[in-house]
Amino acid sequence: MSPNAPSALVAFKTLLRRELLVELRTRSLMTSMGLFALLEVVVVGLGVRALPSDETFHRFVPAVLWVCVLFAAVVGVNRSALADREKGLHGAFLLLPFDPALIYLARLSSAFVFLSMVEVLLVAAAVPLLRFQIPQEPWMLAVVALTNIGVLAPGVLLASATSSARGSEALLTILLLPVVVVVFLGAVGATDALSAGLGLAGAKPYLLLLCICGAMFPALGLLLYGRLHEA
Amino acid sequence: MKDLGTSSMVTIILAVLALLGAQAALWLSYFYAPVQITAGALFVVSPTPGVNTLNLYESYRIFFIHLPSAYATALCCGLCLVGGVMHLLSRSEKWDALTVSASEVGLLAGAITLLTGSFWADYAWGTGRIGSGWNWEPRLTTMLILWLAFAALLALRGAMPNVQARMKLTAVYGILVAPLYPLVQKAIEIGQVSHPRSFSDLLSAPEIGTTKQVATLGLLLAFGAAVALRYSANRLSFQLQKERAA
Repeated sequence: MSPNAPSALVAFKTLLRRELLVELRTRSLMTSMGLFALLEVVVVGLGVRALPSDETFHRFVPAVLWVCVLFAAVVGVNRSALADREKGLHGAFLLLPFDPALIYLARLSSAFVFLSMVEVLLVAAAVPLLRFQIPQEPWMLAVVALTNIGVLAPGVLLASATSSARGSEALLTILLLPVVVVVFLGAVGATDALSAGLGLAGAKPYLLLLCICGAMFPALGLLLYGRLHEA
Repeated sequence: MKDLGTSSMVTIILAVLALLGAQAALWLSYFYAPVQITAGALFVVSPTPGVNTLNLYESYRIFFIHLPSAYATALCCGLCLVGGVMHLLSRSEKWDALTVSASEVGLLAGAITLLTGSFWADYAWGTGRIGSGWNWEPRLTTMLILWLAFAALLALRGAMPNVQARMKLTAVYGILVAPLYPLVQKAIEIGQVSHPRSFSDLLSAPEIGTTKQVATLGLLLAFGAAVALRYSANRLSFQLQKERAA
């Protein structure tokens, strides 16, 4: 690394600022992720419109919303990686005098911000369209944050590697879903327990699973991103 | 190519041992392990104390295949991790061949685990109709996901045109897949617990313990031989590709 290289914090801030500025100007990620998530809610809403609004229905809706989040995340990370690949920025980033792990961290952080915004939009649409009852437990915020990290951490890593492959969109989905389904299992279980009023005690095993994934996947991403892209 | 010759010898030795082990396991499971004669008295499964017990009769013999296959799937996960880490550290194609071989055999072992478990569960947990025993219990679901992850690892090989990029992504994916198996083990602690926690929860006769150990050894040797065989084939295939490209 060059002796004039900026500190890790400065490099991270610069990279994150770049990611957020690009999205602020183009709005391409939020548009595709948001529209995709909304379309999923509408399609599901059409499918379940005749179902009675009973307890089973209310337990079913959060699981559907987590599916929407999962697929919106896949669309987001793939589109972001493809955009960089098309502009030839991917190789250029790796020439910067930073640890490649910082590039990964900045990508993960920006994707976290965008996915969180999509989730707000998704909940706003699901309340009237799917009769979704927002869980009032504050622990739900931890579930959302851990799920986002658990899904995006392997997503950003794999998307950067598959963007040059044939049929990268399909390949990323095939690769990512088996890895993050454990996160999905934890998210649905924790949401179900918190919605049913079981509190932290009921959601604890699922939260533990989410914590394991939320710590393990970003750690693996930080370790492997540089290895994956070194010449 | 010298180590390819060594791996062929290892394959042959493992295959012979596996054949003997599998024969012994088959004989023991049918002629040594006893049958449940008195309903509810000898071999019963009690997923949760106080909840309905279930007579296993002859059906438990399928566990002598199911359990070692699940162990083999776990070992294949471990081999994917070792192959992935070692490839990223050494860049040697032999570790890539190990990851691919382990995922191929993991796919087979996972399929056997899922199928034998489902055959048994259709009668034990369900109504006997195909699929009636599949209850989306966490361990079943996660094992299915693990199987899909092995399939995805093999699918990515065909989609990456660049050999070096393909090897690196295979290594990274092998590392990402590996933690799934411990999570399968963890998943049993939460949600429904219809899946038995361990073999000893189900069966207590000493003959069954011995048969289980022989079957585990025999089948693990068989899966080990399959990994060694595929490893040799994958390395030969890579050598051929290199020679054609040269």
